[in-house]
This record gives sequence, structure tokens and C-alpha cells, in this order.
Amino acid sequence: MRARVIAGGVVTSAAVLVIGWQLGGQPAVTAQSGAATGSTSGSSSSSGTGSSSSGTGSSSSAGSGTSSSVSGTFAGAATQTQFGPVQVQIVVADGKITDVTALQLTDRDGRSEQISQQAAPILRQEALQAQSAKIQAVSGATYTSEGYTTSLQSAIDKAGL
Amino acid sequence: MSVTTFETMGTVVSVRGAATATVSAVRAVFAGYDRRYSLYDPASVLSRIAAGSLRLADSPDEVRAVYALALEWRDRTGGAFTPHRPDGVIDLSGVVKALAIQAAGAALDAAVAPGDAGDASWMLNAGGDVLVRGRHGADPWSVGIVDPDQRDVVVGVVQLDDRRAVATSGTAERGEHVWRRSAPTFRQATVIADDIVTADVLATAVVAGDEDDLRRITGDGTVDVLAFGVDGRVWATPGATGLVRAGSPSPAA
Repeated sequence: MRARVIAGGVVTSAAVLVIGWQLGGQPAVTAQSGAATGSTSGSSSSSGTGSSSSGTGSSSSAGSGTSSSVSGTFAGAATQTQFGPVQVQIVVADGKITDVTALQLTDRDGRSEQISQQAAPILRQEALQAQSAKIQAVSGATYTSEGYTTSLQSAIDKAGL
Repeated sequence: MSVTTFETMGTVVSVRGAATATVSAVRAVFAGYDRRYSLYDPASVLSRIAAGSLRLADSPDEVRAVYALALEWRDRTGGAFTPHRPDGVIDLSGVVKALAIQAAGAALDAAVAPGDAGDASWMLNAGGDVLVRGRHGADPWSVGIVDPDQRDVVVGVVQLDDRRAVATSGTAERGEHVWRRSAPTFRQATVIADDIVTADVLATAVVAGDEDDLRRITGDGTVDVLAFGVDGRVWATPGATGLVRAGSPSPAA
């Protein structure tokens, strides 16, 4: 978790300026909408290993209906990446994502193991950071994030957000 | 809201707010584009052109029109976007996916009953390139932007209120239809625009280009851009600064 560097000031163009901010930082971020997450893994556990599958699998299969009332746990499809399979699970309360967990982030080679152990805790906290707004889609481009993005989108799709 | 997903063009498409028959039409649109333009399919029109078995001049009008459009974008971006691979092969994947999304959007629009035109809403997402109409209930459609440096992080949320399209391009994008002219300046660029072709092409152009290209692209104020530099800096147009949740500014950093 590192601070992102600030680039000072406004750059030449009138249309473009440089902004900086600090990502990660305190786990205490996010007063996450206060939605009653109930069941799952509410607290701590930030520094865990990659696969915390904890098996809360059952989705309330809310399926249709107004999206704002969707609640439940939804696992996205597992996606292959160059680092191995990635699968993401989200917890939704009243249409808002209140938790995101990586169910799988491992592969046979050590490098991937390492990556998964570093990434998973960050994933939970940071993903929560953006959840003050409801999202129905994710957009990103790096190859490594693609598997995650695809699985996260899959989970969002299953929840019907 | 009903969500349907299917795979095409090597990615996953999800459609919200569409009836089953309409989704079938959307799927057919993507399949058609894939058939004509995929370089992974040796039988596609473009593969035959690349292989030299079909002359561009002899290809269908539509294919030549897409090529002409790609050239037009090359000129508008000062060459940052180009349909020509370094090896000379014409690769239209930089525009084809967006054109397919655009055409699929037209199919979704066509399915809207005239009486419902005012509040019809749908969202079409093809691998992170997103086109919407209307709203998600009372809220704008919202798209999370993935951090290029921390692959599992959503750093910001784009709310599509006035504009309809979001596209993100990056250095290691699949298919590698980004060809740089020099050392990379940006790792990832998200462009928010009125239409998906503009968003997608300009996202590619930003990643392929440098700071001057970015200034040129954002100069007329018709799009918003959030770009992540390789040096750790993040660039945003004024309209895009609010997309990223600014943590406490860290003057010490």
C-alpha cells in the first residue's frame, strides 16, 4: 500500500490538469453506506491469504425486480489469467456492493502465490472504497486486471445490479 | 434489472434492460462484426486481406468504409491511433469493437416502443467498453474504473449523466492494437464521450501517444479523460477529476 505521488500544480493545457491522491492508506476508509451486511465476514481479516472462500455461497437469487432491493452473496465466474484462475465474490445489500472478496487467486508457480497474497487484502479494502456509489459495470484495461474485471462484472451481473 | 451475458470477440458482453429477443439481435450484431473483422479467424474478410488472398479494393463496401473511418481517426489523432500494424497488416480491431457496440446500441434502440422512448433505459458493456441509454432507476448508470497499478482496485466511478459512453484502453491490452510511437507515457486511459466509437478510439490514442497528444485530444472539451501515467501521475480533464475519490492530499509524498 503506497501513497501515490502527487504531481504539483496545473499543467500547461487548459483542459488537462494533474491530480494526485493517496490510495490505500488507512483500512479505516469508507463509512460504507451503513447497509446491513449481516452475514459475511464483516470485520478485520484484511491481511489474509488469497483464498478466503468461506463458502457463503448462497445467493438470494433476487434475479428480477427492482435492483435497489437486491441483497445476497454472488460469486462471479472464474476467469483464467496469466497468473491463474481468478474468481470474485460480492456481497450486496439493498443494491449496493458492501464487500468484495477474491475466492481464487492462486496458481502453481510461486510468483502467483505471492501476488495473490499481496493483492487480496488490498482488493477488499479498495473495492469497498469505491462502493459509496452503485456500479453496474467496470472498465479497465491491464491484462492482469482483466480476469478480475471479468469475474467482478460477472458477479455484478449475477446480482442483477 | 434483467441482465444477460454472452461471449463474443474474445470478451464478455452484458446487456441490461433488454428483452430476450432484443438480446438475440444484439448477439447477432457482434457475431457479424467478428466474422468480418477478426484476425483470429483465418476466414474473415480482414484475415484474407492480411494474407494477401483478397485485395482491399475488392473487399465489401462496408469493410472499406470501416477502413476509411479508421484512417479518418488516424488523421484526427495525429497518427496516435492507426489501423496499420507495424508489420503492415491492416488491423481494424481498434474501431470494430466500438462499431459493433454502436450497432448493437442501435438494435437496442430499435426495440424501444415509440411510447416508451422517453424513459427507455439499457446498458451495454463489452469487456469494459460501455454504452448506455437512460438511467438506472433514479440514478445515472455508473461504471467503476479499475486501477492499472493495482489490478484489483476500483479507483473511481463514472456516472453517465449527460454522456453515454465510456471506454478504457491500456498498455497490455489484449490483441495489442495499441502501437506506440515512442516510449510509453500512459499506462491506461479512460475516455468518456457522447458515443462509443469516439470514446474507444481516443482511449487507444491516449495510451499510444504522449502528453502533447493528450492535450490535443482534450483540447476541444468534447470528451473527458482519466489517464494514468507510467510515472505515477494521473491526468484528468476538469470533468473527470471528480471521478476519482481523492484521498487526503499528501503534500509529503
